[in-house]
Amino acid sequence: MDEAALLDVAGLDTYYGRAHILAGVELAIRRGEVVVLLGRNGAGKSTTMKSVMGLVRPAAGRIEFDGADITGAPPHQVARRGLGYVPEDRRIFSDLSVMENLEVGRQRPREGAPSWSPEKLFEIFPNLAAMRARPGGRMSGGEQQMLTIARTLMGNPRLILLDEPSEGLAPVIVEQMAKAIIRLKSEGLTVLLSEQNLHFARLVSDRAYIIEKGRIRYQGTIAALMADEAVRAQYLSV
Amino acid sequence: MVVNSLVIQLLNGLASASALFLVASGLSIIFGVTRIVNFAHGSFYMLGAYVAFSITRALPVEAFDVLGELGPHVRFWGGIATAALVVGLVGIAIEIAVLRRIYHAPELFQLLATFGIVLIVQDATLAIWGPENLVGPRAPGLRGAVYILDQRFPQYELLLIAIGPAMLGLLWLLFHRTRWGTLVRAATLDREMVAALGVDQRKLFTGVFLLGAALAGLGGALQLPRETLNLQMDLSIIADVFVVTVVGGMGSVVGAYLAALLIAELQALMLLAPPFTIAGIEIAFAKLTLIPSFLVMAAVLIVRPYGLLGRPQAAARVAGAAEPVLRLATPELTRIGLAALAALALLPLAFGDYTVAVATEIAIFVLFTASLHFIMGPGGMASFGHAAYFGLGAYACGLAVKYWAAPMGVGLAFAPVLAGLGGLLFGWFTVRLSGVYLAMLTLAFAQIVWSIVFQSDALTGGDNGIRGVWPDEWARDKAVYYALAVALCIAGTLLLRRIIYAPFGYALRAGRDSPLRAEAIGIDVRRVQWIAFAVSALFAGIAGGLFAYLKGSVFPTYVSIPKSVDALVRVLLGGVQTVSGPIVGAIVFTGLEEQLARATEYWRAVLGVVIILLVLAFPEGLAGFAQRRWERWRGGGE
Repeated sequence: MDEAALLDVAGLDTYYGRAHILAGVELAIRRGEVVVLLGRNGAGKSTTMKSVMGLVRPAAGRIEFDGADITGAPPHQVARRGLGYVPEDRRIFSDLSVMENLEVGRQRPREGAPSWSPEKLFEIFPNLAAMRARPGGRMSGGEQQMLTIARTLMGNPRLILLDEPSEGLAPVIVEQMAKAIIRLKSEGLTVLLSEQNLHFARLVSDRAYIIEKGRIRYQGTIAALMADEAVRAQYLSV
Repeated sequence: MVVNSLVIQLLNGLASASALFLVASGLSIIFGVTRIVNFAHGSFYMLGAYVAFSITRALPVEAFDVLGELGPHVRFWGGIATAALVVGLVGIAIEIAVLRRIYHAPELFQLLATFGIVLIVQDATLAIWGPENLVGPRAPGLRGAVYILDQRFPQYELLLIAIGPAMLGLLWLLFHRTRWGTLVRAATLDREMVAALGVDQRKLFTGVFLLGAALAGLGGALQLPRETLNLQMDLSIIADVFVVTVVGGMGSVVGAYLAALLIAELQALMLLAPPFTIAGIEIAFAKLTLIPSFLVMAAVLIVRPYGLLGRPQAAARVAGAAEPVLRLATPELTRIGLAALAALALLPLAFGDYTVAVATEIAIFVLFTASLHFIMGPGGMASFGHAAYFGLGAYACGLAVKYWAAPMGVGLAFAPVLAGLGGLLFGWFTVRLSGVYLAMLTLAFAQIVWSIVFQSDALTGGDNGIRGVWPDEWARDKAVYYALAVALCIAGTLLLRRIIYAPFGYALRAGRDSPLRAEAIGIDVRRVQWIAFAVSALFAGIAGGLFAYLKGSVFPTYVSIPKSVDALVRVLLGGVQTVSGPIVGAIVFTGLEEQLARATEYWRAVLGVVIILLVLAFPEGLAGFAQRRWERWRGGGE
């Protein structure tokens, strides 16, 4: 790395009970980048994100965020350092309205990170603006996906972990999602997203990692990956 | 006239509903966020009343003279509010000292720890305020009565009627109009996600405990002008409060208010119902106030298993935390067991009557504990009212002696029959629920049995119990009775063990681990659980019968909440997921209790501390701990 990474993960090992999920995962994300973590179902993408966030305790390895060691720190401390997490299953607070969901995510403005308000978020996710008082449980999957991202952005993160943002969404919503991520990048946000959808990843990412059976198997620019048919066939085709 | 008294009773019901609501909403809020069912919530209520009593006395009257006419009001209401705050602070202290360490422990252990707090608070209250009932001051300016439809109605009750909805409104504002409230509601739905968004759960939990405890404290303090204060306030309210929270739906404040109204009104109306006679025994509804509320709970839970406004709990069991496999004892362990049996047989030869009596009691509790373990461990159903079946067994013997002057054999045969029938009846409802709701329903059923035996003086002698339940002539000798009890208890315990390892036991465990898959391979899970529940009740009944003849008497305390919790402590102490656990737990706990009761007046508090320390130190129970050590020592098991 020519420049110090904003998020630096080294030798990450994570277990669920006796099952070895991650084996020495290495990642380095620089400021302002959009990086995609590609892999099949069960490869370890979500576990990597949960381990970084402190939701799962890694058995070994080191996670540095903005120069500080956050390995094993509780999730709320990780979040308060400016690391935002958007879970794969969205986890909207179903009884809370859109505005209340956003309120839960709110943190103070942070230096070196874009600042967000509900109004500014509604510009990126216009669908949400029309349903401020609607309970989260009565929204469509696509609307919930927008809300879960907006909710995390309310914490004014420096880096956001997006776990499979395109999963289960209609093509037209996927397109909106891609635009949203590109907009976030233009605001100066750093993004690590996980994906199975290579087409989507290609629209938004600068670089890619491929994870398989808990190990990083490939890293390179998205252009290089698109040119390397052998790698894609080996790790990504179903 | 009937209409008039009906209206007055309805108003009385509204006033009672307010107090019930304050305590229940606190319990519900705490459960919603921390997922802890706080047994000690009744203790907060009792503390609120006692602290308010002391504060309203200690505040010097003269100090409030400067306020003129307002002085007495500020003094009284200031005292009430301060008491609520003090109890809130006590809640914080308990949360930080104890609960914070056990948020990740299994929910039963959490409940147990909070019961430890109940014991400690009971003795602390006894030590500070003494055993006599206390009468608090009346509220200034509200000492009189108003006339409603020509009937006197106390002014203070009118105020209480208003306080319930007022607090409901304030709580609604708190939860819907403040950031803190929004966070609490979010945490009730998904606390991990709240943490991932940067909210410190620990502060949130502590805040919730402050609020919940203060609400209970306020509920207690407001009783000051209404009721005499006594040391039974804690457990007597907690049963009602459990009913209210379960009927309303755990975690729902509005549900708690609706349920409090429903229950309190029903209880008030019962007072008007005329007594009637069944089989020559007069039954007065007025005295059986507990029963309708529990019937309401049973009815609501069958129609809406999560209460009026509750919702299904997120799966309590974390994936990957599978129950360990039960293995047959190794030859070494079998030999140890046989040696222990031989030692037991020789015991009367070496020790005096007292030790033999204690040993008999231990044997009885081994069987009782094994019966509870049977449905808790392999069955996965945590009964919080197992004393019901123990008590039914004991009362079967008592009634056999009282009404038929029957010999012991008849009593001991009747005991498992009555208890088993009780198990069949209550079990039918119980197996329809799971988790915390199941536990609370079993507790409710136990309270029904308790209220029947406690309140129907004519049948059971009420509080005075039934005396003269002695064994037949041939078994009067302590050593002989000991031999009989040990033989029956060991036979019963071994039989239960045998069932666990029989195909029925496998079916039961399959139903516990994965009901859907068990159904898919042709096991009727509910039916298996129902039978298991009845079998467990039956064996508990045998233990109860033996206990009746050991003590020579039967009292309602055999059916009380502490008896049920004692049984739970024994099972959990031993370890739920080991087969020998209940035996170890029963021996250790019964011995401990016996020693403590002899050593100090404040044995309850000591016991409470011991329970809490045990929960903190051995979350898998003594036998579970020993088993792991043993396997490690043997070279990693497998």
